[in-house]
Amino acid sequence: MDFEFTEEEEAFRTELSDFLDAEVPDWWQGMFTEDERAMPFTRELCAKLADRGWLTMAWPPEHGGSGASVWKQAIVREEMWAREEPRGPQYMNLNYIGPLLMRFGTPEQHARFLPPMARGEVIWCQGFSEPDAGSDLASLITRAEDRGDHFIVNGQKIWTSYADSPADWCLLLVRSNPSAPKHRGISMLLLDMTTPGITVRPIDTMAGPHEFNEVFLDDVRVPRDCLLGGQDHGWDLVVAGLTFERTGIARYARAGRVIELLVDYANDAGLGDDPIVRDRLADLYTRYDAARLLNYRAISMQAKGEVPTVEASVARMHNTQLEQAVGHVGLEILGPTGQLRAGDEWAPLRGEIHRYWTRNIPSTLAGGSLEVQKNIVAQRGLGLPREP
Amino acid sequence: MNLELSDEQRLLADTARAFVDRHADDADPWPAMRDTGWAGLLVPEEHGGSGAGMTEFVLVCEALGRGPVVSPLIPSVTAALALRWAGTPDLQDQWLPTLATGAFTGTVAVLEAGMRDEWSPAPMSGLGALTGTKVLVPWVPDVAVIVVVTSEGLRVVERSGAVRVHDHDPLCAEPHAALTFQQAPAERLGSTADSAVVLARVLDYNAVARLAYAIGAAERALELSVDHATNRHQFGRPIGTFQAVAHRCAEMRADVDACRYLAYRAAWALDHDADAAIAVTAAKSFANDAMRRVFLHAHQVHGAMGFATEHELHRYTRVAKSFELSLGGTTRHRDRLATEIGLGSRP
Ligand SMILES: Cc1cc2nc3c(=O)[nH]c(=O)nc-3n(C[C@H](O)[C@H](O)[C@H](O)COP(=O)(O)OP(=O)(O)OC[C@H]3O[C@@H](n4cnc5c(N)ncnc54)[C@H](O)[C@@H]3O)c2cc1C
Repeated sequence: MDFEFTEEEEAFRTELSDFLDAEVPDWWQGMFTEDERAMPFTRELCAKLADRGWLTMAWPPEHGGSGASVWKQAIVREEMWAREEPRGPQYMNLNYIGPLLMRFGTPEQHARFLPPMARGEVIWCQGFSEPDAGSDLASLITRAEDRGDHFIVNGQKIWTSYADSPADWCLLLVRSNPSAPKHRGISMLLLDMTTPGITVRPIDTMAGPHEFNEVFLDDVRVPRDCLLGGQDHGWDLVVAGLTFERTGIARYARAGRVIELLVDYANDAGLGDDPIVRDRLADLYTRYDAARLLNYRAISMQAKGEVPTVEASVARMHNTQLEQAVGHVGLEILGPTGQLRAGDEWAPLRGEIHRYWTRNIPSTLAGGSLEVQKNIVAQRGLGLPREP
Repeated sequence: MNLELSDEQRLLADTARAFVDRHADDADPWPAMRDTGWAGLLVPEEHGGSGAGMTEFVLVCEALGRGPVVSPLIPSVTAALALRWAGTPDLQDQWLPTLATGAFTGTVAVLEAGMRDEWSPAPMSGLGALTGTKVLVPWVPDVAVIVVVTSEGLRVVERSGAVRVHDHDPLCAEPHAALTFQQAPAERLGSTADSAVVLARVLDYNAVARLAYAIGAAERALELSVDHATNRHQFGRPIGTFQAVAHRCAEMRADVDACRYLAYRAAWALDHDADAAIAVTAAKSFANDAMRRVFLHAHQVHGAMGFATEHELHRYTRVAKSFELSLGGTTRHRDRLATEIGLGSRP
């Protein structure tokens, strides 16, 4: 066992961190604000990361990456997530949409879709969830009819983050065979978002605009060369993709940063000796520490070529509940002015804790709910019998 | 960074598991344990030990907690650490080789009536011969050497210098006793200042070893819970098919895993002298609360059966609670951690 990054990795972290400190502007507070500068900024930053070879460094050399170790990738994720993910939506390209294309795509698809991702020029969104298909994703009904050289798609997606960014492409999950059993009649399509018949309707959220959207699909034509993987075999891709996604986000890293903000705030406010404040922040710190180590365990398994499905779910259980706890305790420490938002001159810590609490209200839902993670751990991890 | 065990570590853990399978029910597993060399894991080679690390010791303790195997291993190794770090060459020559082989055992006497926990200052004076009473001293019956914590630092007393006045019946299965010293001849272990540093380290090592033992117990409690949830039927189906039950098991898994990696990291930090205080205290404070949650779930899943002492669950519950009550409660460790992460008054 080794609980340290190597000197080379630490040097890389310093270099990346210095770069980000210089490049990420003071006003940046993540994607989901009303600030119009956000989206163009993420595009510029991704292009600069690409120039330095840092955007797709995790990718294998044949696809324009440098095959960086899983630990360097973890460092990138930590530094990005600690700063509210300044790559914007493009982190999804790097973490799982690109890797899915590499694994399941044709050589033509590789040549067409990977280079723009590697240059940081393209925004993808994920069209999986539907009004009646949430946790039970495989019950989705958006229909793709096979018309030989193309598919005709009709239906509706919901909670599609970044669709109004606007997104250039969508990784779309559709029902291609309604008579097959539910997991066997699904396909994955690569949908050009400029195709006629697509309507995007933003859904306002507690955290502000741009968090997610509805996407309506009316007789949308998708060429056959945009089918990813085997027809009716889309579920295999979902399973592979969700595993990439679960360890693909260093949620604990932002929580750790917010805890640091709260420690400074408490000291400045004369609360550094308050036994209750000390107790609460120390508690959060231990939970942060646990969440981080459990992510590292999953990554250690990936380093050996194993797929840490259950371990990723365990890590996620810790990470998402940590985020919510940090928000709650943070606001408790700030007191009444904690409810003021960014932009209000009396908002402590520039409204950061308010925002953090708000945006983590659904963190135990997005990307597989807490209960679904527990089902995975109970059934796949512990071998408990399935529900009837 | 790599959180996988090495091949040698995995082998050691497997050996320890096999030992537990064979000896968990021995009336006295110590003779068998002597042959394993575990008593010498943290004793340097020049003193007859194997000079391995805390990580190795933690893997052994974790396996033993699965029994739970009741032995003097942890207190004896803890006493050896104090001698190793603060003993004069003579004291080391006198005790370390026999402690390393397990021919003799040692223990550490820390608590006195009125001490809040092991970290509070000890009232017993270490000037001249020792007089006073220590309570909750682990494994006294055939102990050879006792490391005693006093207000002037650590002292070493031979078995003959102490009088056992009372056998406790503590939560954990290990025998514990109250010891009285009457003008007991004592040798000094380091200067007062050195000894404070050594004592803090000894307590950190002891806390991590006991944590590992509790993790073994918690892992067993989880296994028992999963077995029970799979085999016990109500309403015509295994109770594990009810999510209310299954999710309790999943939460146990998540908590035990967190404790385990916090413990491994703490052991690693002790071995590498890297931010050990923060690692140990984070592990201890997280685990104190996590163990409560794990055993609340275990008992809930077991129904009334878990309360009956003919079922083995209670043995693990006791190990965990005894761990929680030893070496600092959650509040104490969180306070220590708060300082480590930078909370305090502005200068
Ligand atoms: C911020 C955010 C961003 C998102 N972005 C996207 C996106 O970009 N693309 C996309 O496709 N989707 C996205 N989603 C949707 C997300 O994947 C779904 O919210 C998630 O799968 C849960 O589905 P649901 O919201 O319909 O809840 P439901 O599935 O209806 O669940 C409601 C409650 O029931 C519980 N429940 C459901 N089934 C079970 C069960 N078997 N056992 C126990 N409890 C159960 C759940 O745990 C939950 O507590 C996003 C969601 C959020 C919050």
